[in-house]
Amino acid sequence: MMMRRRTLFGMGAGLLAAPSLARAQAAPLEVAGVYSLSGTFANVGDLLNKGTQMAVEHYATAAGQKINYTLLDDQGDPGRAVRLVQEAMGQHGIRHIVGCTNSAIALAVAKEVHARGGLYIHMAGADEATGSECNRSSFRWPGASFTAINATVRPFIQRNPTAKRWYTITGQYVFGDSLLSNLKLVLADTGHQLLGNSYHSLSEREYSGYITAAIAAQPDVLAICNFGNQTVDVLRQAVSFGMKRNVKLVVPWSTGLDQYQAWGADICDGVYFGVNYWHGVDAPGNRVVSEVVMQKTHAATNYLQACGWAVMQMLVEGAKKAGTTEIPALIGAMEGLVYEGPTGTETIRAADHQVIKDYYLMLGKARAAMHDANDFAEVISATKAFQRPELTGCHMA
Amino acid sequence: MSGQVLVFQVLNGLGIGMIYFLLSVGLTMIFGLMRFVNFAHGALYLAAAYAAYVVSLLTGSMLWGLLAGPLAAAILAVAAERLLLRHTYAMPHEAQILITFALALIVQEAVILGFDAQAKNVPVPDFLAGIVFLGPFVYPAYRLAVVGVAAVVALLLWVALERTRFGTILRAGSESTEMVSLLGIDVHRVFLGAFALGGGLAGLAGALAAPLRGVDPFMGEEALGIAFVVVVVGGIGSFTGALLGGLLIGVVQSVMSSVWPEGARLMIYGAMALVLLVRPAGLMGRA
Amino acid sequence: MSAFQEGGRFPDGTTIGVAAALVALPFILPSVTLASELVVFAVATLSCAFLLGMVGLLSFGQGLFFGIGAYVSAILLREHGAATLPAVLAAALVAGTGAGLLALLAVRRRGVYFVMLTLAFAQMGYFAMLALRESTGGENGLTGVPRTPLLGGFGALAGPGAIYAFLAVLAFAAYALTQCVGASPFGSVLRAIRRNEARAEALGYDVRAFKVAAFAFAGLLAGLAGAMHTVFLGFAPPNVIDLEMSERLLVMAIIGGASAPAGAFLGAGFYLLLADFLSALWPRWLLLIGLLLIGIVLFLRDGLWGGAAAWLRRLRPAATPHG
Repeated sequence: MMMRRRTLFGMGAGLLAAPSLARAQAAPLEVAGVYSLSGTFANVGDLLNKGTQMAVEHYATAAGQKINYTLLDDQGDPGRAVRLVQEAMGQHGIRHIVGCTNSAIALAVAKEVHARGGLYIHMAGADEATGSECNRSSFRWPGASFTAINATVRPFIQRNPTAKRWYTITGQYVFGDSLLSNLKLVLADTGHQLLGNSYHSLSEREYSGYITAAIAAQPDVLAICNFGNQTVDVLRQAVSFGMKRNVKLVVPWSTGLDQYQAWGADICDGVYFGVNYWHGVDAPGNRVVSEVVMQKTHAATNYLQACGWAVMQMLVEGAKKAGTTEIPALIGAMEGLVYEGPTGTETIRAADHQVIKDYYLMLGKARAAMHDANDFAEVISATKAFQRPELTGCHMA
Repeated sequence: MSGQVLVFQVLNGLGIGMIYFLLSVGLTMIFGLMRFVNFAHGALYLAAAYAAYVVSLLTGSMLWGLLAGPLAAAILAVAAERLLLRHTYAMPHEAQILITFALALIVQEAVILGFDAQAKNVPVPDFLAGIVFLGPFVYPAYRLAVVGVAAVVALLLWVALERTRFGTILRAGSESTEMVSLLGIDVHRVFLGAFALGGGLAGLAGALAAPLRGVDPFMGEEALGIAFVVVVVGGIGSFTGALLGGLLIGVVQSVMSSVWPEGARLMIYGAMALVLLVRPAGLMGRA
Repeated sequence: MSAFQEGGRFPDGTTIGVAAALVALPFILPSVTLASELVVFAVATLSCAFLLGMVGLLSFGQGLFFGIGAYVSAILLREHGAATLPAVLAAALVAGTGAGLLALLAVRRRGVYFVMLTLAFAQMGYFAMLALRESTGGENGLTGVPRTPLLGGFGALAGPGAIYAFLAVLAFAAYALTQCVGASPFGSVLRAIRRNEARAEALGYDVRAFKVAAFAFAGLLAGLAGAMHTVFLGFAPPNVIDLEMSERLLVMAIIGGASAPAGAFLGAGFYLLLADFLSALWPRWLLLIGLLLIGIVLFLRDGLWGGAAAWLRRLRPAATPHG
């Protein structure tokens, strides 16, 4: 059952019908979600939005106020996202914003929300969001590239100490580069060798050339440093070239279940994945979200739904601690907040507003070893690996 | 980059190029024959890929999808031609471009409506899931099969164009449709046939590409971009141009991936611009 | 009323109409920010409509110049602390110059080849932007672009109302300038070129030079719109320079009608409002836009504005008094 999306036009009328002073406590909390339902990122935006909607329905109130959720469909256009947020905050008085479909949107919206003194909780992957672009109004749930690399590569190296020669296929864009630079640091730290790197561009779909170069370098390990459909294509094509025969494959940044389903068990078998969330982890917070998702979709929770859920949960938990949804108090309560989230006990770090949570290293299972249709991989390590706040480049004003 | 790797990059590029050829030959044929710019060409590729996906899900084998894809694309092409596009032949090119562009948009959104926006996986048939050794090099069996299929299709197409009546009419029509109709041949039937064939070929490319990169609603746009580059570089209306152009672009892309990957895309569109400026007829087209 | 195609006067009824509309817009529309967005895209659409309506050149590349304007202004404002007005004008000039230079190459071809050239340039622009990600921010875009005072410390852009006022003035200036060009002798030559290039050439006009100038002017408009976009948002997202932006501008121009500058403004407004309204109802609203586009190309060649103009013309004879 989907919460009815309300347009901003209709919402203005709703706000005008304000309750009397005596019922001021029960005034609803207007929350806006910024997701793309059309445009190139429609697939991502849709599931994120559904995750947030399910959380809204489940929690229903924040600090005693009923949550009224409005979707702002930015159509994949960061400019439109900013314009919609400007409108929502400037004209409709909404101060609590959640969600983003990609980092460009998140970084832009974060600035806008901060300039207008609101609260913004999002799931962007760009390190800058809690680094050089951090601000007091924004909070970020998933771990970014430092986390992904350190929580994946270090445990991998512990398990595979003889795999010393690495090769990388990296997306030649900001996020890919940050995965690669973090990887280089870890490899230098552990005395391993990066034989070489093949960059590819943002819209690439054909990787045979890069895979050929990788095979020629004869590495022990191939690390895939990119995101989204590109990760899916690189791994699929690398496996098709028979790389699994003598190379270990590591995918530090994966969204887990939905990508496993796209690959299928045969490709996932024996590959190492780094994920921000896994439905199979037994934690009280995860049980809550999985129950709701199972009830509504009859399917296991995937990363996008968990993300969408998590950002709303952070708001609700913060409001619970603060006893109010007033922004300054809420932000103060959220800094240092500890709660049971989808990955277990999660803490919001005050210094940069990054959520400190587990990041999992998973190993793909053989088809015959799967207990159910979603049991593609098992968690072999859960680490909270985050850059020290003073090194993130974050200077909170 | 060592000599060995270079050789393999070139070979790999030829493989990619064969798919590009299949993708583009329909577009060049339609353009050459009817002077019709078909911005919906990518939509045919897209529709075929999804048809292949659905059929492979239902039947459990991608091989049935290989039949379903081109068929679906040909049907869509014919339907579009009969219902909509035939009314635009007399219109200026700008109108044709805009209408086919709108059609492509509609097909894309319809696909998202019918499925959803997530990329879907189409597994390679089991017997083609392994690798083959070409000397010191490794190459996926499926890709080799695709090259083989494309080569066979290229041969059949060449034979059809050179040795059959329909092929001769097509070639004559590329020179002058007026002359062809004066000779008593129903030009509109020829156009319909060309559309069906061109669409079917794009559909074959889509069905073949599905196991390589999955299917997603935006693959049509991407295919159109490549097809235009190949058609321009190879020469509009030329079968051999589509083949040479496809192979050239494939090789450039593959070699560039080791030399200057970011520049690969830039170079490909740069090559298109260069050809348009210096020799718009392309490699094989008539000047 | 089809000022691009048949020549118009400057100023005329539409000039006043547009001025009035710009003044009224923030009060009619539900929000000032929507009005600002509309105004930005109106100018961008104008660049497409000008090329198509006046010179008959279909360009899939106006997004490139929109993007250049957006990024240049963002860099000037962010890295060099430039005042807003000079930054915007400089960005427009850079885009216009770039367009002129590209045109020197592009106008060597006509018809479909020209269209494909613009397509190739648009694609190259996007990948160049990604390659230059140190300056453009790559896939993250350039955030934190400050809204500096307009000029020499005066004219602070404090608040959406002030921003709208600034953008509306620029939009009006762009409109008036375009009308001016359309009504000028230069415009007549462009129209002659559109009607029959060989004849214009035979009459002794350097057709290529005129096309280059027209393309440069259109690039200037697009760049201006891009800079306006940056000022409006306070950042330059990566999609300002991608192919979808070029396609969007073209769609708006066709819907509104490329026969007159007012058509461009109408097209941008219609598309943005429709997109806003429809997207809340149905995420697949682009499908309807596709259908609308087909309908317009088949039945309403001069777009909504042309259709309205034709309808008004049909009414006028009835108003002629007898005797």
